[in-house]
Amino acid sequence: MTAKRLRQALESAAIPILATILGLLVSSVIVLFARADPMQTYEHLFCEGFGPKGCQTFGNLLFMDVKTDNGTQTVFSLFYGAQGHALGVTLERATILILAALSATVAFKAGLFSIGMDGQLVLGAITAAFLGYALPDLIYGLAGISQPQAAPGALQTVMHLVVPALCIGAAMLVGAFYSWIAGYLKVKLNVNELISTIVLNAIAVQLVGYLINFPLRSDFNNIARTRRIDDTAWLVPFNRGLFLNSEWFSGSRVGIGIILALLAALVIWFFLWRTTAGYEQRMASGSRLFARFGGIPNERAALRAMLISGALSGLAGAIQILGVERRVVDGFAGAGLGFDGVLVAILAKESIGGILVVAVFFAGLQQGAINLQFANLPRQLGGIIIALIILFSSMENFFRTNLARIQARLRPPQRAVDAAAEGVAAAGGGAT
Amino acid sequence: MPLAVEMRHIRKYFLSSNVLACDDVNFSVREGEIHALVGENGAGKTTLMNILYGLIAPDEGEILIHERPAHITHPNDAIRLGIGMVHQHFKLVPSFTIAENIMLGMEPDEWGFINGASEAEAVRKLAADFGLPVNPNARVRDLSVGMQQRVEILKALQRNARVLILDEPTAVLTPQEVHELYTVIRKLAADGRTVILITHKLLEVKDVADRVSVMRRGQMIGTHNVSDVSIRDMANMMVGREVILQVEKQPAQPGAVVLKVENLLVAGAGGIPAVFGVSLEVRAGEILGIAGVSGNGQTELIEAIAGLRPIDGGHVVLLDKDITHASVRARRETGMAHIPEDRLVMGLNLNTNLDENVVVTHYMRPPYSRRGIFNFLPMRKLAQQIIDAFQIRSARVGEEIKTLSGGNLQKVVLGRELEGKPKFIIANQPTRGLDVGSIEFVHKTLIEERDAGAAILLVSVELDEILSLSDRIAVMFGGRIMGVLDIKDANEQDIGILMAGGSLEHAPAKVATP
Repeated sequence: MTAKRLRQALESAAIPILATILGLLVSSVIVLFARADPMQTYEHLFCEGFGPKGCQTFGNLLFMDVKTDNGTQTVFSLFYGAQGHALGVTLERATILILAALSATVAFKAGLFSIGMDGQLVLGAITAAFLGYALPDLIYGLAGISQPQAAPGALQTVMHLVVPALCIGAAMLVGAFYSWIAGYLKVKLNVNELISTIVLNAIAVQLVGYLINFPLRSDFNNIARTRRIDDTAWLVPFNRGLFLNSEWFSGSRVGIGIILALLAALVIWFFLWRTTAGYEQRMASGSRLFARFGGIPNERAALRAMLISGALSGLAGAIQILGVERRVVDGFAGAGLGFDGVLVAILAKESIGGILVVAVFFAGLQQGAINLQFANLPRQLGGIIIALIILFSSMENFFRTNLARIQARLRPPQRAVDAAAEGVAAAGGGAT
Repeated sequence: MPLAVEMRHIRKYFLSSNVLACDDVNFSVREGEIHALVGENGAGKTTLMNILYGLIAPDEGEILIHERPAHITHPNDAIRLGIGMVHQHFKLVPSFTIAENIMLGMEPDEWGFINGASEAEAVRKLAADFGLPVNPNARVRDLSVGMQQRVEILKALQRNARVLILDEPTAVLTPQEVHELYTVIRKLAADGRTVILITHKLLEVKDVADRVSVMRRGQMIGTHNVSDVSIRDMANMMVGREVILQVEKQPAQPGAVVLKVENLLVAGAGGIPAVFGVSLEVRAGEILGIAGVSGNGQTELIEAIAGLRPIDGGHVVLLDKDITHASVRARRETGMAHIPEDRLVMGLNLNTNLDENVVVTHYMRPPYSRRGIFNFLPMRKLAQQIIDAFQIRSARVGEEIKTLSGGNLQKVVLGRELEGKPKFIIANQPTRGLDVGSIEFVHKTLIEERDAGAAILLVSVELDEILSLSDRIAVMFGGRIMGVLDIKDANEQDIGILMAGGSLEHAPAKVATP
């Protein structure tokens, strides 16, 4: 049995790697069409997504020669962060992907194909953005302080702790409520959650667009935007706080958010696999009839899943604002950040560990793709390459059957017969 | 006598499930005979016939049809060679008429248009030729199961089938329909056609077949003249050991009323009433069997009692507690257990492991969980306990159940449902699709539960099962209980009449009011 598990694990690891290689091979046609060198393009793509500054080749993703005062020295790339490491930015992007993917996974693992992450996320973001300046304003107002800079240090410290927590809490509540609407419609009126969440997404995106352009517009900047959040609401990035002297994080705004995302992953894993509530929703997802038959309160499990899913999306939106962007700029609500999360969840096959890996990989590719334009390559090329890699990754069954076929061909026929005989003996043992 | 079909050294190994379904199988059928192919589930009989019909390619072996080597790689090849197959699950288009179904793919075509009238005429002629009357213009969705089967047979005959394979043809028929089918089969054989009957009902083999071939675990055990072997011999060959065919049980000693159903009204699919004022009682220590052709309200009645379907009128009282509108959990906590009709979808969650399947009815209570957090040790202990008590040999704690056989899956359901000594047990088609060995086990277990004082409500479309297990028999037809018979007075014929909606006016004394 352990050998079988090992084989399965190897297979699971081999499939995404194969998919990536195939995706890159097919992309080469388009890259050549764009009159670029495929190898160079891919090296650039991966270096900008996963390598340290100065990374030029695939090899540099692992080891790099660095000029120091004493001559050249070979360093392990992952820990080499002079002038910043691309993974810093990649992790900043991955944070929101992880949370949105967790959100999707909680819903999927209740048998609900909710893709409302986008709407819940933008509503969470606008909530956090608004409270991020309105709440400190209110506190200063109550305290009678007209100049925030002049506020007593103790008050500042307390606010640094309380304001982000309140903003995040409110964003999670808003996200949870918005997701609950779809859950309620599903449970009480049997409205397909896929349709209702698509519609709710559209409403949320338009609503947030309106809020940014009109009531919450802060200035006459030609792209509409909200006021910047107060410093006390800001989740200070690592390179401005915790790791002030570390160059590794320079250029990226990754911070407390990634820690919260990892914590969320742990909590959700525990919830799904170690609690009765998680069990209830997983059983309902595996077979709704079975859950009903066993006496599991299906409706309650479905609503609970939608609430948790929405809260996670709200959290994703809040962290993106409080930790990264500090204000909502017009266009944020149409960027489809939530959909990227859904994609990550599907590619990771709803496994929590898988989400962490896929989200970082996906974020790195996105980051690398954007930077292709700085190497005089068409920006669109990156999008096409990503899409092809995803397409091949989703062809899991194709790879699995072919791997099995190759295995069968490699195995000598006599052993196959023995295995067959064993199989019959085992099956026969089961029948009696 | 010349051979109609000869299959030599057939071997088929399924890579995906790692099963050798046919292991050097030799099988021959004479022209004009009725040949039964018997074996337990998974013995390889359906695989063998699917190979003959071109649905599965064998790894090795050769096939001779009418003593000429044949290459069958597709059902079209088989049809061209005069082989027809009626599958267990009919392959008819419900919204088409009988004629359209029979002529499907071979419509008389005029300039690309289908002529419905000539189609109907061709079918009418076909039906008359074989003495199998049908109305060519009736829609298949309106037909009884027996009639649909007749359409399938006609469909094969229209394609000039000289060899007709019938896969478990009687599984869905009433006793009367079964007799009609036998007549048809005998007529076809008398006509010089060959009939291969796949079945695991040995009584049926005795009734209708000339010769019988027995398969076990992918191997052909032997072929015999039916007149030379007894049912017991065949059963032993099938299972490979001594089988107790007769259910051994003492007369029931009924105690207090456990379940009382009064004037139950239940809607079926689409809101159409499916159960009309059913009343019944089940006492401790007895088995009440509900006989009936499937689709006469049994499923709805059971689902209503089990809490899976809303009740529109009447009462259900379990152990003096009105549970008419109680939740499934409340019912289970009152003492109900439920062995469902569909173990694959309702009884088990095949997407998860054994442990999570066996705790579905207990997970929210200590020791399995405390304050909403699971405690895995007692869960594993329960799973192991069930594996041991029910001898589910291929099951392992913590592992997927997807690969278990039907019999073992049913044992998992039984183990879970009987855990904690329920006072009232619903057993809905408890042996459907199981092989002889597993059936024996399920029956024995149910009798043990009865003797331990449980009240059991048994629903089955297998009349034999109802007759051998029940202490009293209620016959359902059209959503009503047509009569309740004591096992002492019950016989197949009376039950058959009630199942078809008739009444026993010639012997009213036999019908006790429920």
